[in-house]
Amino acid sequence: MALTVLLGVFILGLMIGVPVAVTLGLASFAYLSYVGIPVVVMPQKMYAGMDVFVLLSIPGFILAGNLMNMGGITERIIRFANALVGWIRGGLGLTNVGASMLFGGITGTAVADAASIGGVMIPGMKKAGYPADFSAAVTAASSTVGPIIPPSVPMIIVGALSGISVGQMFLAGAIPGILMGFAMMVTTYLIARKKNFPKQPWLGFTEISKSFGGAFWAIAMTGIIIYGLLSGLATPTETAIVASVYAFVVGAFVYGDLPLKAVPKILINSAISSAAILVLVGFANVFGWILVSERIPQAIADAVLTITDNPILVVLIINILLLFVGMFMETIAALIILFVPLLSLAQAVGIEPLHFATFAVLNLMIGLTTPPLGVCLFVCSNIARVPLTPVVKAIFPFLITNIIVLLLVSYIPALATWLPSVMLK
Amino acid sequence: MEKLENTLVLCFRVLIGVSFAVLIAAVLVQVVGRLTSNSPIWTEELTRFALLYVAAIGAGLSFRSGDLVNVDIFCEAFGDAWSRRLRFVSAILTATLSAVLIFPAWQYVKIGQLQTSPAMQMPMHLVHFSVLALLIILFLFSALRAVSIALYGQEGRPVGLD
Repeated sequence: MALTVLLGVFILGLMIGVPVAVTLGLASFAYLSYVGIPVVVMPQKMYAGMDVFVLLSIPGFILAGNLMNMGGITERIIRFANALVGWIRGGLGLTNVGASMLFGGITGTAVADAASIGGVMIPGMKKAGYPADFSAAVTAASSTVGPIIPPSVPMIIVGALSGISVGQMFLAGAIPGILMGFAMMVTTYLIARKKNFPKQPWLGFTEISKSFGGAFWAIAMTGIIIYGLLSGLATPTETAIVASVYAFVVGAFVYGDLPLKAVPKILINSAISSAAILVLVGFANVFGWILVSERIPQAIADAVLTITDNPILVVLIINILLLFVGMFMETIAALIILFVPLLSLAQAVGIEPLHFATFAVLNLMIGLTTPPLGVCLFVCSNIARVPLTPVVKAIFPFLITNIIVLLLVSYIPALATWLPSVMLK
Repeated sequence: MEKLENTLVLCFRVLIGVSFAVLIAAVLVQVVGRLTSNSPIWTEELTRFALLYVAAIGAGLSFRSGDLVNVDIFCEAFGDAWSRRLRFVSAILTATLSAVLIFPAWQYVKIGQLQTSPAMQMPMHLVHFSVLALLIILFLFSALRAVSIALYGQEGRPVGLD
């Protein structure tokens, strides 16, 4: 009965539209009151949930991404990507995907990617003769690589939930992110050939080197982050703050596109975004503590294992569940609620936590481009000024591509675990 | 009403900016200390405490902006009038939860009176106070939204980041 109270309040709260963090708090409060546990445990658990070393790096990475985003990187990255792949059939579509991959190494948020790259690329593609729905679809689909290629806030959250280091998580996302990007480029090329989309003229190696010179300072931030984490010279928090200072210097003084008066606003908005994540983590820690004390993760694992203990089928069940939840719930909220219960199930059939964490994040990213709650889908159809339905149809081939990559990463653990095992020996 | 909300938003935006600036400064001192082999021991603690206050102060602002995400697909499906009513219920539930947790959070603050932090020797009740502040601020902003819907005929939708 106590469990019914917990889950009943939780589901009702979500349906009413109460913020997920508050819903977790309401359900926990109802449960504790019902079973007679003093509610003073809630502030204690909230504090413990937010006071986690790994979470300290979140505001820094969000700030670094926002500073770079406002500091004039978009055009430079697009120019470089266009010089590299624009001459191939469907070149602007390929440029779009390539730019998202580079952008993902800097900001790590899909929505910022969709808005920034989409703001430039979608009008450009329409002007060059690409259909508006395809232009919006390729932008939305490719923006999902952002939180998979390091740096990535969802990967930090998973690190906090599982005890895996941020460096390991970031490296685990690198190959799947690149694989996803290249798979989308192949899909774009095949569609472009079938529909005879235009291509750009070959601009030569001079343009590649010139545009690389422009994009270099932005792309170098990915290198600084990876080096900071792998060298052991800096903690993730220090790396994130140094990356923020670097982004500020590049945006304000190297590129000169970041107005100094905009910096306080960027700082404050980054702090608010970080606070939202921390409040969610705080309430979720109470909820998670109740789930563990009620042995829910174990019960879920046992329930699935009575149906099958075949790892292939269990991975499939986990993926279907995550894809379904990802359609309705924001990525970080879904991760915080589902990660620990599903990790028990994954471990029960011998899946490594690092491998599970990687395909769980990748899976939930796909939800950003599926109706009814695909945020990137809405952003891109707004920019393209087309209704949602044609964009949903146009994104279908990319969804299939992303699901194929998801299955590859789910069933070939080395795609996630090999790089961390080599780089972090 | 609007004036009150704008004043609150301005105050909390300044405070969250200061907390984040403290966090950044503490980390930078740590980095410089590392490079000069003269790393102070208090920086890691100060960073953690500053982050807790970023969360506390930002709780209300993120509720207001919609960064504190919700699943709105069901309530938006019922049409404008019902979704507005549900936003009111949601604001009331948020305010109620925050209110009922304020006293337990105060008890938690008092527990901290007996402890000091290892590096800075800071009384821990000042740090535990961040949870109490979070709940009070969340109560303030959710109650404001409920009042703005009920008495001022507003829609009560998140306003996004300024």
